[in-house]
This record gives sequence, structure tokens and C-alpha cells, in this order.
Amino acid sequence: MCFKNLPIDFDENGKAFLKEGLSNPYEHKVVDLGVEQDKLKGLMERNGFIRSVDYDPVTRVAGALAFHSVVDLKEKKVLSTNSMATLFRGYEVILKGRDPRDAAYISSRACGVCGGVHATCSALAIEMAIGIKPPPLGIVMRNILLALEYLYDHPLHLFLLAGPDYSEEIVRETNPELIDLAANTPAKNKAVHGYENVLDIMKDLNPLKGKLYLEALSMTRVAREAYVFIGGKYPHPQSVVPGGLSVNVTMSTLNEVYSRLIKFFDYSQKVTGIWDDVFDFFLDSNPEYAKCGIRPANMIDTGVWDRPDAYDATFKNCNEWGNARWSTPGVLINGEVVTTNLREVNGGLEEFVEHSYYEKWDGHQFKTDPLGMPLSPNHPWNKETIPKPGKQSWRDRYSWDTCPTWDRMPMEAGAYSRIYLTAKAKKAPESKFLENTGHSMKIHVPKHQLPERTLEWKIPDHWNTFERNRARAYCIPYSAMVAMDNWLLAQKLIMNGETKMSTPFEIPKKGTHIGFGAWGAGRGFLTHHLIIKGGVIDNYQIVTPSTLNAAPRTPWGAPGPYEEAVLNTPILEKYDKPEDYKGIDILRTIRSFDPCMPCTTHIMAKESDHIITREVTTCACGIE
Amino acid sequence: MELNKRVLIGTVGYQLLGNHSVGPNLLPKLQAIKWPDDVVVDEMNWGPIAIIQYLESLEVPFDRVVFLVAIERAHRKIGEISLYKWMGGLPDDKQIQACVGDAATGVISVENLLVIGEHFKVWPKEVYLIDVEPGMEIAGEQFTKKVVAQVPKILELTRQIALNGIDESMKILELRGDTLFN
Repeated sequence: MCFKNLPIDFDENGKAFLKEGLSNPYEHKVVDLGVEQDKLKGLMERNGFIRSVDYDPVTRVAGALAFHSVVDLKEKKVLSTNSMATLFRGYEVILKGRDPRDAAYISSRACGVCGGVHATCSALAIEMAIGIKPPPLGIVMRNILLALEYLYDHPLHLFLLAGPDYSEEIVRETNPELIDLAANTPAKNKAVHGYENVLDIMKDLNPLKGKLYLEALSMTRVAREAYVFIGGKYPHPQSVVPGGLSVNVTMSTLNEVYSRLIKFFDYSQKVTGIWDDVFDFFLDSNPEYAKCGIRPANMIDTGVWDRPDAYDATFKNCNEWGNARWSTPGVLINGEVVTTNLREVNGGLEEFVEHSYYEKWDGHQFKTDPLGMPLSPNHPWNKETIPKPGKQSWRDRYSWDTCPTWDRMPMEAGAYSRIYLTAKAKKAPESKFLENTGHSMKIHVPKHQLPERTLEWKIPDHWNTFERNRARAYCIPYSAMVAMDNWLLAQKLIMNGETKMSTPFEIPKKGTHIGFGAWGAGRGFLTHHLIIKGGVIDNYQIVTPSTLNAAPRTPWGAPGPYEEAVLNTPILEKYDKPEDYKGIDILRTIRSFDPCMPCTTHIMAKESDHIITREVTTCACGIE
Repeated sequence: MELNKRVLIGTVGYQLLGNHSVGPNLLPKLQAIKWPDDVVVDEMNWGPIAIIQYLESLEVPFDRVVFLVAIERAHRKIGEISLYKWMGGLPDDKQIQACVGDAATGVISVENLLVIGEHFKVWPKEVYLIDVEPGMEIAGEQFTKKVVAQVPKILELTRQIALNGIDESMKILELRGDTLFN
């Protein structure tokens, strides 16, 4: 029994059914956000130190994110928050009516960073819809491709996007009292990274010239080089197709990949050591930092990396093949696992548009999933994308992002959800390199230049800004070791002559076929829900990690994850006058989610050929 | 053609944006031209960081780089062709980091590419931009008539600059990194 809020119950055999006696089982409350806004307006009028602080755009994130907050600069508290996706993502509209075989290539363009995961998610959705099982080597190489994408993505975020927030330059500007302390704090992991003290690390985090910044740039190249041996190109691979990969892989390909992958063995030790030192320093220097970005560990993940002996692409067996993944799918509520079943992950999903620039759709085409679990009219298989640009108002609609929920709760997504759920659930099958203890993940990193070492990521007591990034750092060795597990499998398959990479298929020209792809971007949870009718795409819905994280309020008023995390963030920055306030604590919190807005939002060709980006007000000035 | 000059002709710009896609749309036509061995014609949309790393990795660097782009600018007529010479210079560090941030997260922009390339010192002395005025963004695969009419001229100018560089008859505008974002 995993649902507390949706009207779904389970019988003694575990079969889900809709609770009886409810006239409108999916009815939900819609609160008037205007009450809060009136209160804030009054407070701002009476108190000069209560101000609107707007970040538009939030820099060092991919795409168009703006953030509105009302901050009490005397009490150093955030009073109100609104997360705004300022552009429309039209991929659901673009994909309608097209040949499903185009989906992987088109949906890949939803993002300039993680195109490969969108392409794969499309392929998985089609595989489920029409029943295609890829051959083992196709599955294994797809796993390696994904791990390499993460090995590109995580260093990029940690050092190029979030990293500067912890650099000597920024800390000197926002919290100068920490500089001397950092100079006198020895770095605990000197043996792996070579830095004497925390200030030395911070100096090398400085953007553009810091050694760690520049090293991360070169490591992104290493991962990309390995990626293109399988994907053909990056970020939009040419070889990802339903049924596997359209490329031949030989021992020589594997060797090319391996020669790059091993560079991440030492780098994994270094990166985790660096970030452990930096984050421990902040948390030790002022316990209040533990409150930055804090929110309950309510997370969702689809799991990734399929076992070739388990994955059969069927909806019927998705719980089984989902639980066999190297990262376990599921939902965490307050840090506890409430399900690891993909069917329940899927069944609990809804998307709301009360505070977004969309029209509510009519109809409830799929009342249950293919095995009878009740589905809400707001479930992605039932949802339609009907854009409705309008005035931006904190009282009403303010984002192009929708509000996805699971069991009517806003959910956070991230690379960290992947490691958290897998460590906690202890369901992932045995691995040569990974060990899940229920409270940690032990990662056995083989020797390269540095001796072999077991790294251990521990589930933290508090889920906050620093722990999101720390977990992301541990996702580097985690991804590298999953790649190694799969590399060994690929080697075995090739040696056994199992070199087939894809399964041929035809799109049925008749009937309705539904499927969903459940895969993961660098920043977490990704689903593509697909309906094929008469051989073409009848509906296509994409839920990305940033759709979840950047969500506006739920209809019943609960803040989205960015909104909630910022709301709980204390202002620890030092400033003499309100004019000097930079908002570093808020920015660190937003960036800790690794926001990536291109796949949350995109451009829209309104009716004919004009692009809506020019017509959307993104400046928060003058908004109600 | 000047002897022994290695030349890169790079097209930059989003696809499917009508006139704004002059670079990617004309790439096949540029590739169809019979070039000397020392001329490389390629799409340059695959991320400034990756492109800089590629240029850094070359044993024999390019002597001349010609970018074909379409950037909407005030006071130009649709289809008007401007020739810019990159003069170097850099904006402040915050702006460079903003360019890197955009580059790392998938934004396609020749200005980001120029600034990041300048920061990492990869540009040869001769870097030119052939910049066609696209007008406002319009989604679609086709150019408007005014740009279609200019295609032969765009290709010929690209050929000339790539093979012979600039000459006194050409009107050359200067582009500088330290004033690019003002």
C-alpha cells in the first residue's frame, strides 16, 4: 500500500483498485494564492527591509529559469518563493502525428546537454508500446552510453556550474569571515587530491583559471570521446534506436572506451575527496548551513541501467526488470522507501496546470494502466499539452512548467535520488564494484595511478544544498563502476559471439499501443509517455527532472521543490547594506538541484511561425 | 589561393529557424564546393568547449577561420551581408564565465564561441565572420526570398575569404570581445 493521497487501494493479492463510494475520486482542492500575496504586499509596504529579490535569469543553469523571492533582510529569512520556467517546451506538440521512429531523433533535441537520455527514453517507450526486446549487447552498450553521459554531466555541473559558488572569489565576496578559517582548516583528503587546506581547494575552484575548473573541462572531453565511439556524436547520438543501437561494437571499441573510462577511477577519488572537504568545512564552520536548501527527502526516480537478462520491455514485467536495474526505481518519502515498483511509480504520477500557462484538457482516455491500476485524468497518458500564454501573476499562473506530483506530493529528482534510492532499497543485484548497505553505498574503485579504494556515500541526516552536491560527486564513481560492470559484460558477450546490437521491428499500422520510457537524465528522473494510434504518435508527454524540481505550487498550494528548498534557506551571507546583498545562499540552493531548463521549457511556434519567447514577460517587476 | 594556409570554414546557428539557420542550411552547399586539401568545412554547433578542445588538439593549427552565421542586428536589411574581423579582446571574467555556462549547457552562439576561444587563446590572427541579416526569428526550414536571393553571393564571399582572405575592396567591420556584450 504505497498511496496515501490518491484514491487507490490494493486487495490482498496486491491488485490495485479505485476506492469505492467517491463521487469524484480525483477531485482536488484549489487554494487561492492571492491571500498569501495580499499579506506579503502589506508586509512590504510597512517594512523597508522586506524586499522582492528576483533572479532573472538564474545564471549558470541550462536554459531559462527565473526565481522570485520575498526576503526579510533584517530577520534574514525567505518569506515567499516562486519558481518560473520562462519558456515553453513544445516537443509534445511537435511529436504529435509523426512516425514513432522519428521520436528518438526529435526528442533528443529537447536538451543540449542530455539529448542521449531523451533519445533512449523514446526508444524505451516504443519498445514497450510495440514489444521489442533488444539483444543483450544492445542493452549493455546502452548502459555504458548512459554512464558516459553522466561522466560528462556530473563534473560539468560540480565544477563549472555549481562549483564557482564555493570558490575563493565568491566566498571572499559573500562570506569573507570564512576565508581565514578555510586557510587554517587542513584538507582531510590530501592523500587523494594533494591540497593542504580548504582555501587551496577553493582557489582552484575559481572560475576560468582554477585548476579544478580547468581539469573538469578536460574530463568532459574524455567522457565525450568515449561516448562518440558508441553514440556516433554528442549530445545527440545517431545510433540510439528502438530495439538497441544501430552501431557495431567490437573489442576494439571496448578498448577505446576502457582507455578513457579508467581515467575516471582516480578522478572519482579526487572529486569525492574535494567535495567532502569543501562541504564538511561549510557545515562545520556554521551549523546553520545544514538548513540551506533543506526539505524532506521526498524523491522519485525511474532507475536506470537495465540487466540484459531481465529487461524484456514489457509493461507486465516492469516491476521485475525495474528492480533488476543497477539503480533502483522508486519513491522516497521522508527518506523512507515507499515503493520500488515501476508500475506504482508510473501509477502515482499526475501533472497539474493550475499555476502554469496551459489549458486543462478534457477527457480521461486511460482509466487504468494495462494491468488495471487506476490512473488519474491528470496522468501523463491522459494529459494533453494545450499552451495558453498569459499574464504572469503570483496569484494565478506564473510558469511554463507544469506541476507534476506523485501521490499528490511534489517530488524532487536528481542524480542523488538514484544513489539514495539504490543504497536505501538494497534491491540492486550483486555487482563486483557496488555494495548497498541500506544506509550507504560502498563503491570499490579499482587502482589506476592511485591505489584501489572503497568510497562510501552515506545517507545524510539532513537533505540540503550541500548533500545534493555531495551525493552528485559520488555519482561519478557510481556511474564509472556501473560502466565497468557493463564493460565486463560486453566483453563476455563479444567473446561468446553474441554481437547482435539491435532487434528489427515494424510500427503496427493499426490499433492503439501505449508505452512509457523510464530512464534518467544526468539530473534524474525522466519519463516519456507515448500513445501510438494508426501507426503515428497520437500523444507524447515528457516529464523531466527539472519539470519536477522547478514546479510551481500544487493546486492545493504546496510549493515545488525549488520553492520549498529556498523557502527553508537561512540567509547566511554577510552584507552591510541591503544593496550589497548577493543572494548566494539562495543561488547555491537552486543550483544544488542542477537545474536544466531546456527540457523543461522550450520555444513555441504560435499558430504559424512566430516564436513566443519574445512575448513572455520574464522580468518580475510589476507582476502581481 | 594563398599557399600553405590551413583554413576552417565553420557554420554556426540553430536549425529550423528560417533565415537564422543560414549557417547550418548552407553547410551542404559549402561542402559540395571543391576545396583545396587545406580547407576544412564543418558544422561548429557542437559546443564551444568541445570545439576549443578540438582546436587545441590539432598538431597543425588553422591559419584562418571563417564563420558563417546569421545574427539579428539593428539597422540592417534582411539578407544584408556584413563581414567582420575578430579583433580579440575579452569581456570581464563574469561575462566569460556566463559564456562558458551557456556553452556547457548547450546554447549555440558564435559570440560565446569567439569569447571562449579568445579566453583559451585558440584563434589564429585571421578570424572572420560572414554575417547575414536574418530579421526576426521565424520557425521553419526555408529562407525568405530576400535571403534566397543572396545565397550565391554568400557562398562566393565565403569562398573568396577562405581562399584569399580579405582585400581592400571589402568593407570590413571590427568585432571585439570587450565590447561584444555592451
